[in-house]
Amino acid sequence: MRPEPEGEWVQGWPDRKRPKLMPSKDAEGRTVFARTPLDQLEGLITPTDAFYIVTQLSPAEPIHPDDYVFSISGLVDRPLELKLSDVQKMPARTVRAVTECAGDDSDWFRWQKGAAKKPSRILTPQVEQGGWNNMDQGEKPSIEQILEAIPSSGVVSAGEWTGVSLFEVLNLAGVKPEATCAHLVGYDLGKPDPTPLYMSTGRTDIDYVDPGIINYDKALELSKALHPDTILAWAMNGEHLQHIHGAPLRLVVPGWSGNWWVKWIKQIELLDHTPECYYQHQYFVLGESPDDPNRKPCKQLGCKSFVSYPVDEDSPLKRGSHAIRGLAWSGEGAITRVEVSVDDGKTWHDAHIEEHGDRWLWRRWMCRWDVSEPGKYVIKSRATDEQGRVQPQQPWNYQQKHFDGITPVDVEVI
Amino acid sequence: MKILVCVKQIQDPEIAPGLFKVDEASNSVVAVPGIAQVISPYDEQAIEAALRIKEKTPEAKVVVITLGAASARDVLKHGLSMGADEAVLVEGPKNGSADGFVTASVLSEAIKKLAPFDLILTGRQSADLDAGVVACGLAELLGIPSVNFAKSVDVSDGNVVVDRVLDNGFEKIQVQLPALVTVSNEMGPARKPNLRETMKASRKPMQSWPQNDVNKDAGASQELIRLYVPIKEKHCEIIGGTSAGETAQMLVRKLRDGRLI
Repeated sequence: MRPEPEGEWVQGWPDRKRPKLMPSKDAEGRTVFARTPLDQLEGLITPTDAFYIVTQLSPAEPIHPDDYVFSISGLVDRPLELKLSDVQKMPARTVRAVTECAGDDSDWFRWQKGAAKKPSRILTPQVEQGGWNNMDQGEKPSIEQILEAIPSSGVVSAGEWTGVSLFEVLNLAGVKPEATCAHLVGYDLGKPDPTPLYMSTGRTDIDYVDPGIINYDKALELSKALHPDTILAWAMNGEHLQHIHGAPLRLVVPGWSGNWWVKWIKQIELLDHTPECYYQHQYFVLGESPDDPNRKPCKQLGCKSFVSYPVDEDSPLKRGSHAIRGLAWSGEGAITRVEVSVDDGKTWHDAHIEEHGDRWLWRRWMCRWDVSEPGKYVIKSRATDEQGRVQPQQPWNYQQKHFDGITPVDVEVI
Repeated sequence: MKILVCVKQIQDPEIAPGLFKVDEASNSVVAVPGIAQVISPYDEQAIEAALRIKEKTPEAKVVVITLGAASARDVLKHGLSMGADEAVLVEGPKNGSADGFVTASVLSEAIKKLAPFDLILTGRQSADLDAGVVACGLAELLGIPSVNFAKSVDVSDGNVVVDRVLDNGFEKIQVQLPALVTVSNEMGPARKPNLRETMKASRKPMQSWPQNDVNKDAGASQELIRLYVPIKEKHCEIIGGTSAGETAQMLVRKLRDGRLI
């Protein structure tokens, strides 16, 4: 059974407990990793206190907005150093979009291969994430122990981002015609921890290319960098951006996985080639094996939906009518169709989709289910996007990124 | 059957050590802005123990009581949200007293006003000062037996049966009611307030009594001279020398001076 909702006192009134992140903290009590309680959300925008957090390197030191400066250099007519107030004088743009970690739901890849138990949609606690580099003192845990300790679900959220289109900022500097990519560098610094690589591959025997101490960086191809919805954001969900979400300024790349959304922007360099960014060429890559010559960086997300009610833990359900509900999103624009099956995919029925005008934001969908026959049922959902892409798009890959497979719900009706 | 549970509001013991600050001028802990104070975890487990008895004895009434500032209403609300029936706040000065005798005196007078009662439960100690004297003082002032460090508490036929935690095992003790029992962490985790009980809690009675109305004469028997965060100092000294032998000799001398060898 799904646990009884917790209560708490909100503004002095007894109320439903507000959705909160499932955090892992560093030694100083600062959250460095947190998963979103998807089972507790309603509506479209994930509250900031419930918005997932992933950091790859050590988060940047907080910078006062008045002291913040970032540079634009490389193949531009006018190299610039800009303050936050400079970009806030430019035409603003607000984008509502899904942010999904490339590794969201990667447990389901393992489950599909029979290598893991079925993941739960109900958020369960994870261990405090110390990271592989911090485990040097004692015996290294086995990969099974790590996978068990840090589930992959709930690293997806949706937010409203306010900032300025990156192309406005690039136009100010004047991009030279030979430029092909915008190399974005964050103020976050550190030595990449191989734990995510080991976790995602389920192996610790693969070569770890140690780049030493680096700033987090990504090389964004110019066509995406110049898309008007690719913005440098200073606000999130109607308030100033929080430090751990990348303040004072972070990149928002709608449709592309979270690793592209560089936080704490330090430098934007226009280049005529793609540099060897660790988090683009070693990690966050799609391929059949570490040696796959055709492996490529994770970019746009697939086409995905999942059932948020009922979940396995809601079983047994009583006979009668139920609303099967869920969310659907795509890396290439709006969701146009969601189908639901209650017979393990033998027959499919169109679900009702809530319409809205934000093509990068997920859509809520629902389907009334009148069930009179007791028995076991397998409920599935399948999304289609405006490009005609049907779930699933992403096959298994060795780093188990961009999972968008169909995830069945097993329930018994009594 | 009436069970009284004495609870205390404290600084959240789970906050990062770097946030913990003491104001040495006023000998008090500085509240961290934005971080709510919480119920002392042992006291929360005492409420849990009371609620477990109430589950077996539905006619039992659980009353949570605290001595504290107006903000301590929050811990009473927490107790009511867990499932307690009533709450009493004995409203004292903002910074409270570190003197366990004063706390025990005030609470004993308040408890006399709530008589008759059958069982008093408290945490084994508060999770801030960790003195662990209020409960025993309370039992002494009320003239009732006390059993401390309970792992489980059961009530039957006018007696309370307690499994006590010892250094090297457990012991089972039975005493006649009324009695006082302090609850240890071996009781197990306290239940989380659920939505239904939290909603009900707002309609449960909560009384507030000024401390002076309860006990004017509770003079302090202790004086807190200094409250401070222990200072950990590290000194590093590089031992020089013209040769390895000389350096080793100097190291040995230093270690002997420090009575380390």
